[in-house]
Amino acid sequence: MGIINKTIIILLLVVTADSAFSRPISWSGGSTIMYKTNSMHSSYYYHYSPSYKYSMGLEYINNRHFNDQYINLKTTYLLGRKNTKKSQANLYLTGGISTKSKNNHFYGIHGDWETRRLFTSFSVINKDTDVKDYTENELTFGVAPYLGEYNDLHTWVMVKAKKDTINNNWETYPFMKFFKGDSLIEVGTKNSHWDIHYMLRF
Amino acid sequence: MYKILLSIIILSSNTVLAMDGMHNHDSHNHNKHQDMTYVDGSKTKITDEMFLSFSAGLSNTQIVMVDVQGMVCDFCARGIEKTFSDDKDVKKVDVSLDKGKVMIAYSMNKKVDLDEIKNIFLSNGQTATGIVIRKV
Repeated sequence: MGIINKTIIILLLVVTADSAFSRPISWSGGSTIMYKTNSMHSSYYYHYSPSYKYSMGLEYINNRHFNDQYINLKTTYLLGRKNTKKSQANLYLTGGISTKSKNNHFYGIHGDWETRRLFTSFSVINKDTDVKDYTENELTFGVAPYLGEYNDLHTWVMVKAKKDTINNNWETYPFMKFFKGDSLIEVGTKNSHWDIHYMLRF
Repeated sequence: MYKILLSIIILSSNTVLAMDGMHNHDSHNHNKHQDMTYVDGSKTKITDEMFLSFSAGLSNTQIVMVDVQGMVCDFCARGIEKTFSDDKDVKKVDVSLDKGKVMIAYSMNKKVDLDEIKNIFLSNGQTATGIVIRKV
């Protein structure tokens, strides 16, 4: 097996962590730009999807708390999708490596099930760092208060529960998701700080 | 934990994108000005209101109406719209999330290939289960 194949497999086995969005892969040939900011850090992420089955991208992170900047190479692979008339279910394998150090990488799985009215997702992410290895678990549930048509403004009321093996307790917080056209924004508050995610697909 | 992850991954690898009901039937006249080709007409119900709204102002056109599974949000449909819109023979594309349908207006020059349409949906991660063609 060549070094390129090995690299691809390793990348596919590494996971993206706090992807707050229900669709971590775009349509075939589609690109996505994300911006995220919260009390600890802000990040810019670009990914490209050669097909609807996987995406690869680069994320620049500015950790304001530790005054640290680094880049993650992230990828997501669609393990399976089940389409029905009223729903779509997905299971993803995602991961990444970091320029922070050779010991910094993450990998895991992410799954979601969505109708036009309901959304649920889970993720299990293992993060290996220089200091400590840990696992993050995340559950999300959302309801659309109304059903918009194509090109309308779509609104979701969401709640997210997170737990990591460092603090070992569940933390739950609400947020709102809006999207229209090619743009999506999530706004929430966590520990009295704004948590904002913006995404543009093209 | 790792055994659980591995089990989920193995189970999920059996998920198959089903493309059922794609059978080509003969064309026949519907109205004076409309021809229809059924692929799986039993699953595709286009109301006259939808059709008339979409076809308003169009002439000398083939309108393809596709029944789609998995199109639960705008982002799901956006890639489909972009792909069809890039085709120079496509005059208009419309999506109904509520009815799970996509309507595509082709010029009469276009030789409509049902497999090509099916594959466009598949390459965007959705499943086309039925297709009807009308000519106006």
